[in-house]
Amino acid sequence: MTAYFIRRIFQMIVVLFISAIATYALLNLAPGGPLQGLRQIQQGGRFQITEDDIARIRAQFELDLSLQYRFTRWLVGWPTGPIVLGGTEYFSDVVVGCRKPVESEILNDEGQYETKVTGCKEVVYMKDLVGRRTSRGLLRGDFGLSWRLLRDRPVSDLIVSRLPKTIQLIGLSTLLSLLIGIPLGVYSAVRQYSKFDYFFTSLAFMGSAMPTFFFGIIMILLFSILPKDAGWPYVPAGLSESVRGYTIPLIGEVAAGSVKDRILHLVLPVAVLTLVQIAGWSRFVRASMLEVMRQDYVRTARAKGLSERVVILKHAFRNALIPFITIVVFTLPGLFSGAIITESIFAWPGMGRLYILALGDSDYPVAMAIFFILAVLTVIATLLRDVLYTMVDPRIRLS
Amino acid sequence: MKNRILLILGLLVSVSMILSACGPAAPAEPVEVVVTQEVIVTEVVEVEREAFTTPHPILSDLKVRQALSYCTNKSDLLASVYPLTSEETRADLVMHTFIPRDHWAYAGDANVTIYAYDPDAGRALLDEAGWTLAEGATFRNNANGDELSLKFTTTSAAFRQTWAAIWEQQMADCGVRIVRLHAPASWWFGDTTGVARRDYELGAFAWVGQADPGGQTLYACDQIPFPNNGWEGQNAMGWCNEAASTNIKLANNTLVKDERIAAYAVTQAEFTKDIPSIPLFNRTETFAYNAGLSGIDPQPGEPYYTYNVSEWTLEGSDTIIMGFTQEPASLFTLVEDAFVAQLAYSLFRPNQSTGLNYDFQAQMVKQLPTIENGGTTNNDVEVAEGAKVVDANGEVVDLAPGVKVKNAAGEEVEFTGGTVVMKQLVSRFDLIDGLTWEDGTPVTEADLELGYKIACDPESGATSFITCDKTAAAEFSANGYVQTWLPGVQDPTYFLPVWPIYPAHQLGDVPAAQWATNPLVAESPLAYGPYKLVEWVKGEKMVFAANEFWPGGAPATPNIVIQIITPESQETLLLGGEIDILDSTSLVGLTETLVAAEGEGKIKTLVNPSATWEHIDISLFIR
Amino acid sequence: MSAAQVATLSPEAVTIEERTPFQIVMTRFKRHRLAMVSMIVMIGIFLVTILAPYIATFEIQELSVNKYFVPWGTVDAETGRVHHMGTDNIGRDYFSRLIYAGRISLTVALLSVLISETIGVIVGAISGFFGGWIDSVLMRFVEFMLTIPQLPLLLIISSMILRDDQLIAIPDPILKFMGNILLLSPRDSRNAVLIVLVLAGFGWLSAAQLMRGTVLSLREQTFVEASRSLGASNFRIITRDMIPNAMAPIIVDASLGLAGYVVAEAALAFLGFGIQDPVPTWGNMLAASQQFMLDRPWLPLVPGLPIFICALAFNYIGDGLRDALDPRLKL
Repeated sequence: MTAYFIRRIFQMIVVLFISAIATYALLNLAPGGPLQGLRQIQQGGRFQITEDDIARIRAQFELDLSLQYRFTRWLVGWPTGPIVLGGTEYFSDVVVGCRKPVESEILNDEGQYETKVTGCKEVVYMKDLVGRRTSRGLLRGDFGLSWRLLRDRPVSDLIVSRLPKTIQLIGLSTLLSLLIGIPLGVYSAVRQYSKFDYFFTSLAFMGSAMPTFFFGIIMILLFSILPKDAGWPYVPAGLSESVRGYTIPLIGEVAAGSVKDRILHLVLPVAVLTLVQIAGWSRFVRASMLEVMRQDYVRTARAKGLSERVVILKHAFRNALIPFITIVVFTLPGLFSGAIITESIFAWPGMGRLYILALGDSDYPVAMAIFFILAVLTVIATLLRDVLYTMVDPRIRLS
Repeated sequence: MKNRILLILGLLVSVSMILSACGPAAPAEPVEVVVTQEVIVTEVVEVEREAFTTPHPILSDLKVRQALSYCTNKSDLLASVYPLTSEETRADLVMHTFIPRDHWAYAGDANVTIYAYDPDAGRALLDEAGWTLAEGATFRNNANGDELSLKFTTTSAAFRQTWAAIWEQQMADCGVRIVRLHAPASWWFGDTTGVARRDYELGAFAWVGQADPGGQTLYACDQIPFPNNGWEGQNAMGWCNEAASTNIKLANNTLVKDERIAAYAVTQAEFTKDIPSIPLFNRTETFAYNAGLSGIDPQPGEPYYTYNVSEWTLEGSDTIIMGFTQEPASLFTLVEDAFVAQLAYSLFRPNQSTGLNYDFQAQMVKQLPTIENGGTTNNDVEVAEGAKVVDANGEVVDLAPGVKVKNAAGEEVEFTGGTVVMKQLVSRFDLIDGLTWEDGTPVTEADLELGYKIACDPESGATSFITCDKTAAAEFSANGYVQTWLPGVQDPTYFLPVWPIYPAHQLGDVPAAQWATNPLVAESPLAYGPYKLVEWVKGEKMVFAANEFWPGGAPATPNIVIQIITPESQETLLLGGEIDILDSTSLVGLTETLVAAEGEGKIKTLVNPSATWEHIDISLFIR
Repeated sequence: MSAAQVATLSPEAVTIEERTPFQIVMTRFKRHRLAMVSMIVMIGIFLVTILAPYIATFEIQELSVNKYFVPWGTVDAETGRVHHMGTDNIGRDYFSRLIYAGRISLTVALLSVLISETIGVIVGAISGFFGGWIDSVLMRFVEFMLTIPQLPLLLIISSMILRDDQLIAIPDPILKFMGNILLLSPRDSRNAVLIVLVLAGFGWLSAAQLMRGTVLSLREQTFVEASRSLGASNFRIITRDMIPNAMAPIIVDASLGLAGYVVAEAALAFLGFGIQDPVPTWGNMLAASQQFMLDRPWLPLVPGLPIFICALAFNYIGDGLRDALDPRLKL
């Protein structure tokens, strides 16, 4: 078992490393960047962007360095300058980047002209790296500074400010989905072809076929805006807490920022997420249970004279859960990544929204930090799933 | 038997799908216009040449550009994006040149060529240009058989998708095939892609107008971006018209308003004659706010509608909540150019001047020092060789033989040695009395001096240092400063305050390189305005309370909160009463929900013409 | 029965009529009423989309600025044609666009599911059956793919295509074929092909993991041992024993996946990727309706309902197929 663990952890590290490289390269190939929109600001007497200004700003964001040096500086915070051994500097003239590239028109293979970088007007040497601001490196826990979302402030500030709200939302909805979805799926399978089964399966099908944003807006209309207009009790339409106190008929006065306030704000987003998830999960559990209940060993258990309840819970249910483990385990990364569309509709200040903003604004440090954490969580989730498989199904042997 | 029927049915379905795949032909593939160039290859394998020197085969023909303008129905475009705005408001938004029609710098309808919607004229021009419409065809061809097909690039925002669809149809009516490409904004506005690399044939986006029309970097001949000048300049169309270029430079380098108006008139006349770009319309600034809110009064010309925030009142509440769909990234506005950051900043550090109705007013200074009121003197100075001056092109150079400068008489002369007499502006700025930081320390000239020091330090991260480069000296004394510009600087906005105000008693010793990352600068700066920043919960809200040291007295509403929301939730939050104001950064136009809510008296809406204007740039050269 | 009656019974009367597996499946499928109804509904939708050029009253790009959301059933003054479902904000006929869009959305979803499930089943079966280093490598690859962020990948693919149309080489015959099915020019169908590749490229991961899990449990069962002792090759065991027995969760996954792909295409349209204006897909029509959702809450239903009905129908069909294909279920 330990040998398996060690092997898996080693594989995990390799996967993470390759994933980090691939994601970093991918992001840097993407268009946009911290200078996006800079050239579209109308210039005038008090504001002009010159070639030097662009070079200077690019240097501030380390965009003048070559990809490999940028990556290592992000990962481990090195190189920060020439290596100094006993008073002498080594590698101080190694070219690490280009401050002002030379672009010219080149005829490419297809007979068309395109602009390519053909050289460098001003080269950046290793010795120029001394004194530049840099992070200590991801592996030492420093995610670097944000480029655009929280300009020049630590990425960890951003993530830490959003994480609690995300965990609140996703954690609560996942818990509720599990608590409600699994029993519903089991009951539906056990009472297959009953009215309850048909009704509930249809509901579940409909729930999983509905686009989230449509569902969310309908919920807002039904439970927030329309009741408020009609004078009935309502729940707040969005955000995670109010700034002003307000009064709800039948519930009374709600002070801004109080526990009551926060719970009321949680109702709609959690409801939307839970309902959508229940739809998918309960169907899965039902299919799995049906599959298992046809097995011979279930018939054997019944034949042995065990009560139906024991047959279902102890024999069928445990086996039915095996494929379901795959799905549940991957809610772990979901806890971190949030739910993008739900957060957008309800203006919930969570990680999902941050993810989209980081990509849209090309804030690479934030995007890389989120991806890396997600990658770690995904890999851990996979390991967890494999371990749980062995625990739940004794027939599965991990070689 | 039943199975057979089902089998046959299934076969029928699949056969019909396959048959339909061989069915009606798909629309023909547009023929690409290929430019053949004779390339004589010598020993060098890579053939280099000057980029963007070959005129565009279709668009370099003036008749084609004129035809495109005639075939454009601007009021229909406006009707498609602003369907709920009244027709009169829409008619006011149409633009004929790069300056709005109600601006003081507008040349006047009589002095520019106006292309009214006239598709017949457009078609006639296309026929003249050699693009003829064959019988029964939709799109025109020329004698070589090439199709009149142009690539149109813009962002994928819903606003642009809408009017681009209409424009495509208008062009098709004239026989021009427009191939639309809606790119993500990060590509279109990216630093190394899209507009920045002149990667378009027809490109649409919006310029954000300033109080001063500017325009030098847009239409001057030396502002054309090329690979070998680091893509500097905003004249991506590649338009070089001597008269227009000289006059736009003149308009931005003279102090006499009448001269400026005349110069702008010439440039606009040439602009409409040559059509390097098709100006479409002004966008609107749309505001929607709680019906109980009064005092809010956005004016055209002044983008920061918070200029009178201390007068706003909300019935029955001591807190006004503004909704922002974009969170300010940093409150260090020297480095952060985003509008939302500057707007939040203006709550606790009001701008030193305002630009209401395209005119300028003083706010944090006692007066805007103009030559007329004596605050500024335009002195004649004798400049010797080697001194730093600003030449006739607006560049900061050392005076040396061969440099062209403008002398005191306003003539352009070439320096040949000795001395030359040039004009030098000297202005005196004074802060208003009683300005105090939120901790009780008065604002003095030391704060202005710190502002000067940081704004001109290359390590601070500021984007542009042109103001510092053009400053000869700045002497700080008695709650103000004397700004001496370099000889040759004749900037029409010379009277606007130059240096920001930073708290010297708090940050005087912090090195410039650390300012951007310092939380006292980026997250919790000291206030000297009517409000002070009390709390910033990242991702959620910024809370402001009244600053008791504000000389103007307590603001009418003691608390302001900026709530961070999302575009999808903005309207529901306003209607639900969770926020009070939605401004034009969030609202693109009126929607039926807002109009209906206004009818019910829940909210009020306001539509002002914006200084931002949509246009279609025409690339006159290909790479 | 008396001995005499037994003697006179013909053999056929006693034995059960032999039926092919396909007939068995069909009989069992037909018992699932909802699945049959869904099948008929889907055939109906398919027919409508195939006959789109003949049913649609307007062209997809015909627009008019003055027709801002005209009511249902309005007659166009100039030509006398009817806007069965009214128009959108720039006067394009909703009904015509809807049925043309159905062609594209359905084709994209179906192709994506087919490709992703096929790849997923093959990879999962190999990984689960052989175990060892093959399993490790494949599963680590799956994990790696899961950690690659899809959105930046889409952004990059998008921008690469913008720069150079020919960058991602798709053979012309495929483009022409897709173009003919979707009634688009080969240039526009490029986007559709790319969307299918991207959706399938990320979609096979969950199917592979699911398949692997099922195969892991199946491979220890006695019938596999029995097959092996009969001398069956690995290939035969995988194809004859593993895959048919593992099909049930795969089919459920595929039917959920179909619904998911149609909605995924809508999500991509949201972000500005995929098939763009003026070519309509249910996804980009849904995204475009989001602007007006507060004004007209029923508006997203127009493209949303077909998505919903198709997803629902596919779900029921999947349910019926699962019941019908289960090898353990006797008659």
